[in-house]
Amino acid sequence: MVDFSLTEEQKSLQDLARKFAKTEMLPVAAACDRAGRFPEDVYRKAWELGLMNLNVPTEYGGSGLSVFDQCVIVEELAHACGGMTTSIIANCLALEPILLGGTEEQRKRTLPAFCSSYHLASFCLTEPSGGSDAGGLQTRCRLDGDHYVLDGEKCFITNAPHASLYTVFATIDPALRHKGITAFFVPRAAEGVVPGKDEEKMGHRASSTSTVKFDHVRVPLADRLGAEGDGFSLAMRTLDHTRTPIGALATGIAQAAIDYAADYSLKRHTFGKPIGEHQAIQLKLANMAQEVHAARLLTWHAAWLIDGGQRGSLESSIAKCFASDAAMKVADDAIQIFGGYGYMKDYPVEKLLRDAKLTQIYEGSNEIQRIVIARELLTHYA
Amino acid sequence: MELLVLIKPVPDPDTRLRPNAAGTALDTDGVKWVLTGYDESAVEQALLLKESAPGSRVRAIAFGPAPRTEEILRSALALGCDTATWVEQPSGLVPDPMLSANALSWACQKTPFDLLVVGKQALDDEAGVVGPAVAERLGVADYGPVVDLRWDPAAGKFNLARAVEGGLERITASGPMVVCLQQAWNDPRTAKLQNVLKARRTTIDKVSWAEVQAGVGPAVPGTRLTSFRLPPPRTGAKMIAFKTPEEAAQQLVRLLREEAKTLP
Repeated sequence: MVDFSLTEEQKSLQDLARKFAKTEMLPVAAACDRAGRFPEDVYRKAWELGLMNLNVPTEYGGSGLSVFDQCVIVEELAHACGGMTTSIIANCLALEPILLGGTEEQRKRTLPAFCSSYHLASFCLTEPSGGSDAGGLQTRCRLDGDHYVLDGEKCFITNAPHASLYTVFATIDPALRHKGITAFFVPRAAEGVVPGKDEEKMGHRASSTSTVKFDHVRVPLADRLGAEGDGFSLAMRTLDHTRTPIGALATGIAQAAIDYAADYSLKRHTFGKPIGEHQAIQLKLANMAQEVHAARLLTWHAAWLIDGGQRGSLESSIAKCFASDAAMKVADDAIQIFGGYGYMKDYPVEKLLRDAKLTQIYEGSNEIQRIVIARELLTHYA
Repeated sequence: MELLVLIKPVPDPDTRLRPNAAGTALDTDGVKWVLTGYDESAVEQALLLKESAPGSRVRAIAFGPAPRTEEILRSALALGCDTATWVEQPSGLVPDPMLSANALSWACQKTPFDLLVVGKQALDDEAGVVGPAVAERLGVADYGPVVDLRWDPAAGKFNLARAVEGGLERITASGPMVVCLQQAWNDPRTAKLQNVLKARRTTIDKVSWAEVQAGVGPAVPGTRLTSFRLPPPRTGAKMIAFKTPEEAAQQLVRLLREEAKTLP
């Protein structure tokens, strides 16, 4: 029997995340957005409650949650601030390659530190020359005795200026394309690792994003994840797991847009009645509700498949792509319902649009998601 | 130290509340029941005392219908209470505060305790009866409204402060006793994710309604809620036209004095 209801346990997790979002994130969200401030105090509290390393199994001290449970939490956090949520869940993305591709020894050596005290990790895949073309990355790794030497530059790396560990994807030979890509974990303290300055962004301004340069960084052979050439597959499998929570993040932003817009539509009067009683607004609200409902269910479905042991590439692509497009549409509609006020920074909805935009771009642009979806579709007809 | 804390599921203050169709009670349809307000402060205080006296244990006790009562007991367990007791309230029964106090006191007397903490009133009906009535039933002293409560391990006594008209009354007392706490003079903690999951697997002890009745006699509420209404919507807002803030303040004071008559 298919069941669309949350368990009591999931409702408890939802309550916890909702409370944290409301009491810790929302009160500072607007100010952090305006100033581009990275609210480390909020992130430390998130870590203390166990909201940071959601995917790390309990045996290493993490929360050990299923992808579905992660989605439930992420949606609630993103309702208060998409940018902070991105920074809170960045450890999940950065540590996933170690969970999926690391040996037991490597996991024991790296993961407990993130669960026993507050530390951030960053996932370093995208490069200035391209993000979607992951097979074409240029950062080099060259074997030199019992070490690799890393040279190159990564960009748009979440939490990079604050991270203590990087999971890095580099190639033994760019001519090998995806077959040459190899993964490593590299401590921030390693000589030659240089995170750049914090980027000024359109949205997600409470999150921190920068380049990371690797300049003749010597990485022990023991810190390579999997075999040489396994990196591309590892990156893709990682994204299969983390793409779905991005759908949940977008859904949270979209739900916030509905909540603000519906509330406003009952308070704002024109032509002698609340604007929510005008059909023009009702039709908009109805469309918004459909978008968000579908986004949530697609996200839940993808998570359910992955938790059941399936790869879920197609479904997680559909969920991420649909939910992020929905977030853009719904945030746009919310601004329209607020009218001129919606365009003002004194009101909360314009931030939602700026935050939603990134969800169409990061963790695989929506164009890449559509290519994945189309290819998968066409295999059934070839 | 054995600590008991009495809690009660109350409607989430963020829920949109409305009376039922007959106007005799709260419409509970769609209401989310939570541990909040005075009760949340009481749990926090019990946990602070537990932490100040190693080896202490906290038991949360609640009287109410399933499943909402179990849910707030799990919230208390997630926050750090060690054990929990659900005192069953049969469906259809609408208890009054004295009936609640009788049922709770029956559960409390099963557990020897040094201190029983309780919010001075519940956030919903604000009756303020249960704490003193439970103390009366158990034959122990009660103090309230308490705004500071500490354990003095050297003396083996509690130091507490009561809010009285115009000041504080400081008292040193020994258990067992009941302390009725003022709200939010501590900063209630948030449950950790791992503890939320652990609390779901903890067994909650149950005191059946039959057992309560056998203990305290046939329980029939002595009072009945006859009418439940929302306050009338506010009307008559007056906008003050002004050129300077000083002028606005002068006009406001004049209106408060002459029209609203709230200033002498």
